[in-house]
Amino acid sequence: MLGFLIGEALRDLRRAGRVAVSAILLITLSLAALGAFWLVSSNIGQATDQWRNRVRIIVFLKRDASTAEGHAVADRVTAMPGVATVRYVSKTEALGTLKQVLGKDASVADQLPVNPLPASLEITPTAEGATPDGARALIARLAALPEVDEVGGGSQWIERLAQGRRLLNVVGAGVGAVLALAAILTVTTATTLVLHARRQEMEIMRLVGAPELVVRMPLLLQGMMQGLLGAMIAIWALIGGFTLVGPRLEPLVHQTLGIERLTFLRPDNVVALMVAGTVLGGLGGWLARGRREP
Amino acid sequence: MIELHRVWRVFSVGPVKVPALSDVSFRIGKGEFVTLHGASGAGKTTLLRLLYRDDLPTEGEIQVLGYDVPKLARGQVAALRRSIGVVFQDAKLLPGRTVYENVAFVLRVLGTPRREITPRVFDALRAVGMSSRAQAYPAQLSQGEAQRAALARAIARKPLLLLADEPTGSLDETMAGEVLDVIKDIWTGGTTVLFATHQHSLAVALRQRTLVLQGGRVVKDEG
Repeated sequence: MLGFLIGEALRDLRRAGRVAVSAILLITLSLAALGAFWLVSSNIGQATDQWRNRVRIIVFLKRDASTAEGHAVADRVTAMPGVATVRYVSKTEALGTLKQVLGKDASVADQLPVNPLPASLEITPTAEGATPDGARALIARLAALPEVDEVGGGSQWIERLAQGRRLLNVVGAGVGAVLALAAILTVTTATTLVLHARRQEMEIMRLVGAPELVVRMPLLLQGMMQGLLGAMIAIWALIGGFTLVGPRLEPLVHQTLGIERLTFLRPDNVVALMVAGTVLGGLGGWLARGRREP
Repeated sequence: MIELHRVWRVFSVGPVKVPALSDVSFRIGKGEFVTLHGASGAGKTTLLRLLYRDDLPTEGEIQVLGYDVPKLARGQVAALRRSIGVVFQDAKLLPGRTVYENVAFVLRVLGTPRREITPRVFDALRAVGMSSRAQAYPAQLSQGEAQRAALARAIARKPLLLLADEPTGSLDETMAGEVLDVIKDIWTGGTTVLFATHQHSLAVALRQRTLVLQGGRVVKDEG
């Protein structure tokens, strides 16, 4: 029975002709747009995750704090919520780092009568501590310590990147939804034309007592076929676009976002796009209405 | 088998009510051959459509094969129709399919097992004398052949009741005779037949019980 119904659906698809092709292309367009936004978003997500792991908070200790006091503060900070690791950076190590940064001008530092740099604590927050609220609370707790002179660093810019990603997701979902609606309407139109061409078959089917599900199933199947075909073309277009454009964008992305390689959609994302296409097409096919029985 | 009690079918044309059937009552028993005779517009097609629930009466009771037709749920309508074969004046063959495919189509949509389809199609085609035309398309058939193919499609499902709506209406005398012979054979095989025609000579020639319909009323039940 299923083979027969699929055969009928293919026959309908041929009958729909250009309108079916338009519907397939519109589904391709909507899913390609959705997939492209998804692709960009997942790579930005990868960058934000990576940067979130690199968030550091620097706590500068008062200049008169001794090494022992510094280590004691480090121990207290380690016990604070939202703190993953703490590294104590002594005055001497800070000066050494400065010299490294100065490079050939490092001799300038040697001429200083005393080391002016304070000791500091380099804090890596936990995932909770790296969120905007977590970082804000942690910085407030650190600033309240009597041995602390100043607290620097934070995760605001990473959050701005994450907000940008969320905005991109919303825009992508919006564009995808509009195109998906257009695709559903086109499939419905294509199926309505099929209904007209198929009215004799449907009349005979109803006349001989075929269940309504069997009468309508070819329409649903031809819609699903259009959707699946559109999704497959969209995925091939995305793969093609990614293969062509990806390597050219990688140096720029590496410099700006700090990620080594762009990644394509995961297999489950690809499957989701195919399912979405099939559902869109099926919905369009099912929504087309012919003559109602009394 | 069929029982109608005080059936009315009134169509509304704007504010005007036009009765197509008025107070129609009759009973047809199992295995009967009944001719429904009346001029064009007498209400024959309307009456047949009520029997296979393609339309609903405005008033009255209709029993067909034990089903209370006007009160059937949608799922039960399909069950009723599976026991009824219907043929029309215009045959209603699917133009893009051969005679074989037209007959097989109805068996396939009803979920007949694949191995049973070919023998049942050829049994039906043999019964109407069309087995040699199995691969012909409707456009290649004469009107008489098209009507016999439509009969084959109707009987392939072995219906208990055959409703024939002017199947000989557009045929010449010879072709009409051939189609009529096929319908009689189907009746002889045990199927109840309700045969609608506007041709008086045909109704007389059949020499069966005849219901005469005039202006939507049964004015005579004879034979």
